[in-house]
Amino acid sequence: MRHTTRFRLIDIGGLLLPALLAVMVVAPTGWAQTSSPVATSAHAQNSATTQSGTAVQSFREVVDETGRTVRIPQPVMRIVSLAPSLTETIYALGLQDRLVGDTDYCDYPPEAQKKQKVGGAINPSLEEIAHLRPDVVLVTKHLNTLDTVHSLDALGIPSYATDPRNVDEILASAKRLGDVLGAVEAGAALAEDLQHRLDVLRQKIGALPPRRVLFVVWTDPLISIGKDTFIADALRRAGAVSIIDSKQDWPQVNLEEVAHLQPEVLVFAESHAETTLQHFDVLATRPAWRILNAVRDRNFAVISEAVNRPAPRIVTAIEELAEKLHPEAFVEKPASDKVSGSTVLDAKCLCAR
Amino acid sequence: MRPLTIQRLFLQCAALAGILFVVVIIALKAGAVEVSLFALGRDLIRVIVHHGGEIKSDYGLIVMNIRLPRILLGIFVGASLAVAGTGFQALLRNPLADPYVLGVSNGAALGAILALLVSPHLSLLPAVADLLTPLGAFLGAAATIAAVYFLGRREGQIDSTTLLLGGVITGSFLAAIIMFLMTSETGSNLRGMAYWLMGNLSTSLQPSVYWILWLGFLLGAGAIYTTASDLNLLLSGEKEAMHLGVDLPRVRLVVYIAASLLTGLAVSVSGSIGYVGLLVPHVMRQIFGSDHRVLLPTSAFGGAIAVVIADTIGRTVVPPAELPVGAMTALAGAPLFIYLLRRRMA
Repeated sequence: MRHTTRFRLIDIGGLLLPALLAVMVVAPTGWAQTSSPVATSAHAQNSATTQSGTAVQSFREVVDETGRTVRIPQPVMRIVSLAPSLTETIYALGLQDRLVGDTDYCDYPPEAQKKQKVGGAINPSLEEIAHLRPDVVLVTKHLNTLDTVHSLDALGIPSYATDPRNVDEILASAKRLGDVLGAVEAGAALAEDLQHRLDVLRQKIGALPPRRVLFVVWTDPLISIGKDTFIADALRRAGAVSIIDSKQDWPQVNLEEVAHLQPEVLVFAESHAETTLQHFDVLATRPAWRILNAVRDRNFAVISEAVNRPAPRIVTAIEELAEKLHPEAFVEKPASDKVSGSTVLDAKCLCAR
Repeated sequence: MRPLTIQRLFLQCAALAGILFVVVIIALKAGAVEVSLFALGRDLIRVIVHHGGEIKSDYGLIVMNIRLPRILLGIFVGASLAVAGTGFQALLRNPLADPYVLGVSNGAALGAILALLVSPHLSLLPAVADLLTPLGAFLGAAATIAAVYFLGRREGQIDSTTLLLGGVITGSFLAAIIMFLMTSETGSNLRGMAYWLMGNLSTSLQPSVYWILWLGFLLGAGAIYTTASDLNLLLSGEKEAMHLGVDLPRVRLVVYIAASLLTGLAVSVSGSIGYVGLLVPHVMRQIFGSDHRVLLPTSAFGGAIAVVIADTIGRTVVPPAELPVGAMTALAGAPLFIYLLRRRMA
């Protein structure tokens, strides 16, 4: 239950069967069985490189983030990514030329859409993957299924799984991926750069009181995020705290609770700010939503959808949100005009893109 | 069948109305903020007298703007589904019939999904845009009702078996289209569709919608009630009923249209909530017998009670999160159905 199977199963399309849906709510995730606390930083470097003369292919054994030992051929020349976040990370590491296939949902950077598609993240075409003859298939625990991993095992295709659960782990995971894929320096540089940006941000807003926000995943019904998700951690980094204290990853939230807790700002992740703006106007007409002060005062922030993906770009989304929630910390010359640094949030400034 | 007296019917309905009242009071009290009975009564009176303008307190706003509308919606949905289920079970002479058996819910789901897909591309007034999903759902339901009606006719009349088969096939065809749309859609839209399909009462509706819903309920349930005596005769068989003077084609048409209308209205505002329309008529039949003049009104109360209880548990059991009411009714409904089944066989 900890790892959001709810989404995944629904995505598969358990349609219109209330009984099935009821099962989903309590369904265990296949991954849970393999879940082990092995996500420690040092991975086994047992390079099982065959030094003996005649061997053609060399292998390296690594322990992935779910604790599985994977034998990966060296050097890694052909990569298939089964998650948008992994595709983004590969591009960030500069390894895009070795990416031979990705999913229908891999839309960033835009060039990633032109790669050979292997289907969705939940039900990729195994035939297509096998046809691409990858050295390694990258999967991530929060999106892909254990079924896929088992099927790849059966085909003898190595799969490396990531499982970042907070912003630090997203950085560490990208760095490790660089190492595993044969781009150690690029991985280290990427992680260092991201860490530097986060440090700069912390200096700016670390001392400010966090803003109490409601992160809105969906409004009908209201879906928000749980406290153990990487998104909740990203909000914390941006000087915000989610009012929803739930252990579920994607809780359907009772609007009464929200009205009781009265968030200062509603946060939407949307690639088109105008859509959210229109959406917000709709919410403001509903009796139940109008009793939220944030809705009446139009205090909402629209940030990039990148916040939904455990990839390096999440740092950009964090910076974006921080600036919208704490504009006073980003004013260049605070000495000249102290009055304008008011704490009142203005809808116009929040939506300015 | 015991002879029906107005007195007995009135007493039975009054008893159920009393239970519903108690359930509603408990549901009004339960939730994120505690409310005292005194404050609740005072605010209710204020709403009735002053049209709600005076309530300033935190709990008052929450109860009046969120909790009470949601409970009223639950009553409507539960009553509609149970009456529709009773109607379909009699019409199709099939104890497994429920309001969704003829594909109406899939038609509504498809309409809602299409509305979700097109609404971002239209520049509508906010209040209109907000009505688009329920409107799409209702149009989808209405189109399905019409299609199944034409499929279910033989020699100009509705034939129960043909209707049932036509409805089931139409429903699965529509489900296939929904599957296709959902697999070709990505990201947040997909999530929205999935949640819509799960069935829940948390939607905040414009006040005017409530009037439409209750008007629809009175029309639909009233129409079915006019056929109650005919439905009783139908229990002994279609031929027998005809011999006893039942105008079967008219009864079938009225029950089909009215029950479908009730289902369509319910689905358009709550998605599909399973087991209520199937199970409540069975439970009421066990308690009150199978006289439809009693069964229809008692089922309406029973459905309302069941849905309000299920939703109250669903929204209070794991705060601040909530469980969709459809999951609650299925969790409770399936075991109860099996229990009833075994008991009847014993």
